[in-house]
Formats: sequence, structure tokens, C-alpha cells
Amino acid sequence: MAIQLQQVSYTYADRSLWRQTALHDINLNIAKGSMVGIAGATGSGKSTLLQLFNGILKPSQGTVKVLDVTIQAGEKAPRLLPLRRRVGLVFQFPEQQMFEETVEKDLIFGPLNFGMSPEEAKMRARQAMTDMGLDLALLERNPFRLSGGQMRKAAIASVLAMDPEIIVLDEPTATLDPLSRAELIGLLERLCREQGRTIVIVTHRMDELLPYADQWALLKEGRMAFQGSGQELAADPDILESCGLSVPHSLRYWNAVARRFGLEGEKPCLTAESLAERIALLQAEGMRDRHE
Amino acid sequence: MKELYNTNEAADEAVISLEGVAFGYDPEHPILHDITLSVARGQWVSIVGPNGCGKSTLVKLLNALLPKSAGEIIISGQRLEEDTIGSIREGIGMVFQNPDNQFIGATVEEDILFGLEGQCLTYEEMDVRLKQYTEKLGISGLLSKHPGELSGGQKQRVAIASILAMKPGIVIFDEASSMLDEGSRNELLHILQGLRNEGYTILMITHDADEILASDRVLVLHGGSVAADLKPEELFLDQELLAKCHLREPYPWQLARELRRLGIETDVPASEKELIETLWPYNYSK
Repeated sequence: MAIQLQQVSYTYADRSLWRQTALHDINLNIAKGSMVGIAGATGSGKSTLLQLFNGILKPSQGTVKVLDVTIQAGEKAPRLLPLRRRVGLVFQFPEQQMFEETVEKDLIFGPLNFGMSPEEAKMRARQAMTDMGLDLALLERNPFRLSGGQMRKAAIASVLAMDPEIIVLDEPTATLDPLSRAELIGLLERLCREQGRTIVIVTHRMDELLPYADQWALLKEGRMAFQGSGQELAADPDILESCGLSVPHSLRYWNAVARRFGLEGEKPCLTAESLAERIALLQAEGMRDRHE
Repeated sequence: MKELYNTNEAADEAVISLEGVAFGYDPEHPILHDITLSVARGQWVSIVGPNGCGKSTLVKLLNALLPKSAGEIIISGQRLEEDTIGSIREGIGMVFQNPDNQFIGATVEEDILFGLEGQCLTYEEMDVRLKQYTEKLGISGLLSKHPGELSGGQKQRVAIASILAMKPGIVIFDEASSMLDEGSRNELLHILQGLRNEGYTILMITHDADEILASDRVLVLHGGSVAADLKPEELFLDQELLAKCHLREPYPWQLARELRRLGIETDVPASEKELIETLWPYNYSK
């Protein structure tokens, strides 16, 4: 397992009058090398949850196991620095954390801090740029002279440059245009499938991740409301509504077709293209049946 | 209320008008050039275009958050100049992309009251507006919270409430719904429809197909100028233009287009039920 949470609760300002429990009794398993979506309505605890994944927040109750590190509530945490290199966290609007004069300096900042040699850091920076589909010529640019989409990708590259085994992203596609969004999800999927990294994406736009995620975790008011595959989720879309999320169009249309023809057991067609092809096939079969 | 503005006299009343407006940090490479357009009172306009095409820059020129380098801007009959900036700003409410950039108060309540205090309203009126707009945005339960205790989507709702509570005649949203889940986004669209009917003018920078579809008019920015000015439905039928501004049609439109490509003629379905009924009208079993 890449990440394992056992009966984890988290309370903000635990010892004050303003204590507020954001997560209750969470059990979660994320397999190594998988692509996982975490969804929930605003304020359901998504961002709190992912800060547990590299020890920024420590559980108030329960046990968090990430790779080979165990963080237990009430006990002194082990040394977390190595874990923070291995688990890259990309926050909301990550481009606002860029601060250096050039993209390259920004990208090598993390690796140098984790003790890589300057040569190695530069090499990692180049690799990360390539993995994010960015032109190496941009390394010399001032990060603030990049377009919104490029800046977002460069900010993600600066986390990727540390060569993390797990990458956790909080709303990575917010404010990107739809083309850049699809492109970014595609790049993240390649990091997962081709390089075996574990990718965890927190999103409220389930539709764009639905065709790719192996697993989904849904949060509702700080509790885990669902955990399972996209196919299981497709079979029970009501759970989305009970979590305050609306059922994506792609899922609604697939379910209507699946119900009409009893295709519930199939892998859902969750893009307009794949669903249209499936419908064309159904129509061709229908024609044939009528002729026979 | 909307009818009020559909009378001939009022419909012509441009609340925003730009003539040959340009902007650039470097005169050699202007970010925006030769922008001429006008927006009638009570209109809801979507501003679309790829990342980095100058959408945010354009709206920031309207209340002089950025200084135009050429051209003329007239807001509600006032020419934008040094000594009119103040009164023009009073009439324009702007909600930014990242709500963290516009949080001022130490609590949600203080944040919303901050703008109202600036307008010198009475305490009674401030209380009324606070109650009205926090209820409208579904954040009445968060009044005593510190911004650090709020989620991204909650902060965005606070930002929207604090602007709307000031009742500016023109509201500008710079991707202000990017962190909202679909449910809250639909609620926001509902609120905006209400505002439009009250005669508010709305400018909305967005990439979201549903938001675009809800608006009256779309301005496509590309390469620093207005590449198209059309109705949402026209935009979604123009594949070339969609590709140019990195947009996608709403899912039912995508599906209808893919089906037509495969030789299945169908209109854009209004719902999944309608699609099934059109495609398989006979009740023969498979």
C-alpha cells in the first residue's frame, strides 16, 4: 500500500474552545501505482485529508501509514523529511508558490534542499519539464512570464523534480481552460501508468477524472462515504447526490443507455466519443435483430 | 424588472463602452489592442479565450486596476479618468480567481462588513445585507470563522457574498466559481439569473460550458483582441472557434456531435431520457 489510514480523525485547534473536527474515523487504502480521485462537496475535508499524507498534519486519532513510515496519534512522529521528498504535495493554485527569477531556479530549489547535487537537481528539473510536456527553453524564463497553463504545469514540475513516489494534487485543474485541463490529466495519467507513480487527485470535477481513475474516495462532512472503483460508483450514482455532488453528465447518459440495454456489467463508456461508438454498435445490432 | 430594460430607450443604454482600448507593459508587445465593444445594462456577458489571452487584463482595465495605454473607457456614462476612478469603482464589484487574494477581515462577518462600512451604510442596513447575502450564498453558519478555517469553495462563496452585498450595478467574476462543486455552481448560476433580472450587468470570465450557456452573449478574446462576439449557442456550433479558445461544448452537445459523426442524426438532447426516446422510439426488445 502507498497510503493507509486506519480510524483517523483530525481536529483543528484541538486544545482550544474553537476545536473543530474536520475528519472522523477515516479508513482509506491507496494502492501503489494507482490513480485515485478524492471528491466531496466544498468543506467536506478533502484538503485536510491530503495534508495527512505527508505529515503536514498529524492525526488526532488513529494511524497514518505512508510508504514505510507510520504516524500514530499521540506518539512522537518519526523523522518526516525523507517522507516529504517521497510524497509530493501540490496545493491549490501552486503557481502562487513560485518565487525564483527563472523556472529552472524554482525547479531545483526543492531537490537542492533535499540534498541533491546541483547537477542532479538540474537533470531532475529537465526531466520534470519533459514529463509535464513543457519546452526546455522555458527553463530560462521568469515564471511570472508564463501563461496560466504553463505556470501551473511548471509548478507541478517543481514538485515532480524531487522525484516523489506519490504525488497528491489539490484541485490541479481549477481555472485552467478545458483543453489544458484534459492535457494535464493526460500527463498525470502517464506519470502513473508509465512511471508507476501513485497519483492522488482531489477534485470537484469528477467528469474529467472519471474515465481515468482506478479508485474513488468520496467524503461527506468529514466522513468517508464511499470507496471503490469508478465502475462501482457508476452503478450507484445516488451516492454522489447524497454527498452533495451532482452526477456528471457522462455518467448520467451512460447509465441511461446501460439500463435500457442491460449493460451494467460492462466497463462504463464515460467520454462522449466512447459512448457514441457504443450507441452506434447498439443500433447496428438492433438493425440486424430486426432483419433476422 | 428585466422588461424595464428591454424598452427601446433603455436597451440602447450602454453601461460599459470601450473604444480603441489597448494595454501593454511593453508598447512593442501589447497584451490587448484595439478593443472596441459595448455592453448594455442588464446583459450577462461571458468572456472566454485560452489561458493567457488577456481576459483578466481586460476586466481590470474597466476599473483602472490596470491603466489602459490607449483608447477610451466609459462606465455608466462616466469617462474613466483620474478623477472619476473613485466613483466608477463604487459601481463595479469584482470577484477574483483566488479568494485568498481578497480576504480582508479576520472573520467572515468582518470581511463582508468591511465593504459595507466603506459605503457608509447604517448599522441596520448593514445587518440586513449581511443576513440577506450570507443566506443567499449558504454561508450564514460560517460568520464567526477565520478564513483559515474555510475550504477553497467556502472562501469563494464568502468573496462572492461580500461583493454582492455592496450591490454594485456591474459585477465582474474572474473565474470566481473555479473552486465550487457542481451543486454550488448551479446555485451561483441561479443567483446570477436573479441579479440579471434585477437589472445587474454581469461580466464573467469562464471556461465552463454551463456558465457560458446561461449567459446572453459571449466575447471571445484571442491574441489580445476580440475574435468573436456571438450567442452561446452559436459558439458551441463553431468547432473551429471552440478549438481556438480551448473550449468544449456541454456534454450533450459533444455527444450529439459524436453521434452525427457516426451517421446517427440527432438533435442535442435535453436530457438522457430524451436521448433514449429519440434513438430507440420503438419498444422492441433487443
